[in-house]
Amino acid sequence: MVDRYVSDAIDLPEREADADVERADLVFYGVDHSGASYEARIFINAPDADAATPRDDAHYAGSFCIFGHGGCFGDAGHCDVPTEPADPFDVRPPHQLVPAAKTVIVTDAFKRLVAPSDETMTVTVVAVVPGASTHDVLSFDTVRLLTYG
Amino acid sequence: MAVAHAAGGHRSARLRHRRNVRTLTPGQLASFRNAITASQAIKDDRGYLRWAGIHGLPLPISCTHNSELFLPWHRAYLYFFEKSLQDRVPGVTLPWWNWTMRHGEGLPPAYKAVKSADGTPNPLRGSPIPPAGRGPGGPSRTTRNPGASGAPPLPTLADVNRVLALSDFLDFQSQLEDIHNGVHVWVGGTMGSIATSAFDPIFWAHHTMIDRIWRLWQLRHTGSRPPRALLGRALAPFPGTVRDTLSTTALGYDYAVTTSAAKGTG
Repeated sequence: MVDRYVSDAIDLPEREADADVERADLVFYGVDHSGASYEARIFINAPDADAATPRDDAHYAGSFCIFGHGGCFGDAGHCDVPTEPADPFDVRPPHQLVPAAKTVIVTDAFKRLVAPSDETMTVTVVAVVPGASTHDVLSFDTVRLLTYG
Repeated sequence: MAVAHAAGGHRSARLRHRRNVRTLTPGQLASFRNAITASQAIKDDRGYLRWAGIHGLPLPISCTHNSELFLPWHRAYLYFFEKSLQDRVPGVTLPWWNWTMRHGEGLPPAYKAVKSADGTPNPLRGSPIPPAGRGPGGPSRTTRNPGASGAPPLPTLADVNRVLALSDFLDFQSQLEDIHNGVHVWVGGTMGSIATSAFDPIFWAHHTMIDRIWRLWQLRHTGSRPPRALLGRALAPFPGTVRDTLSTTALGYDYAVTTSAAKGTG
């Protein structure tokens, strides 16, 4: 778990200079939600952004919020998410802690901060647990940029 | 929920309206508080603690989050809890907290006041949490920490309008759930954890607002529904499926900013 993440340079496919982007999403896959609730603030092309960077910063792109489970309240193994594929005859609902996918619509920020000629971009995520002294709650597998137009 | 579809039988099929907590008349607010007080006083499976405990602790945690069942499951949850309140005070309905307005005020006054108008303790200010409903060392009563340092701002009307404009159900639901998450984070304390949040009475007003936004979305995007594959999914532990939650009026309620009436011909 970390309180801050800066992506590697994300390669951007070539775009037509005049192509209009109707919508741009950043999709975070495999987001852990087992612990404290928090806000994840997202910045584009701002690798130095941190918890002190305001939401009205020019590189701020949006946020997602995690409503967390607040820890494990069962015995050993209770919060272990099965990693094996489900038996096709197992109709039980998925484990409560199956990691989440979070989609943040960042259309305006993407258009403002990423020019058609840009070949890469970075994404910075800053986790904030309100009123807490530690913010090491952020864990996810992948972030993906999707544009539609 | 199938029972609601049969409301035209031996009963009068009168639609009940949920209202903004700020526009409740003194009598409506008193009735709602009476219902919560009566529910909190019942220790068996008809009472408040049992209903609150369905969402999170005691285990199992039954709520659905980060799930395509988020809105239908919580609509069913509100429906059955509201029915349990109507068993205490007939006709009472759940009010909603419009957190897009009056941000400077924070939580609605009806939920912050120490005492009700009649001088009795305000049951909307908090609730006990039974030992099985809290983690080790957890508080025995609900707590709040609204707008703590670093909290996300409460949603605006523009935020809500942006999600209402999304025409695909799963897209809309995902973005609305994130708005919902932010309000839980903003309130903090007991509301800030899936395991405990439903013990705080403000939980129900928050989720009634979420359910209302779904209803507004349904009015705006008539014909847009959850994917067919979801419609038959069960909403455990409640009887019924996603399909049963699609019509609020079939469930016997709707949302109204105000309601007024005059006596008929008698």
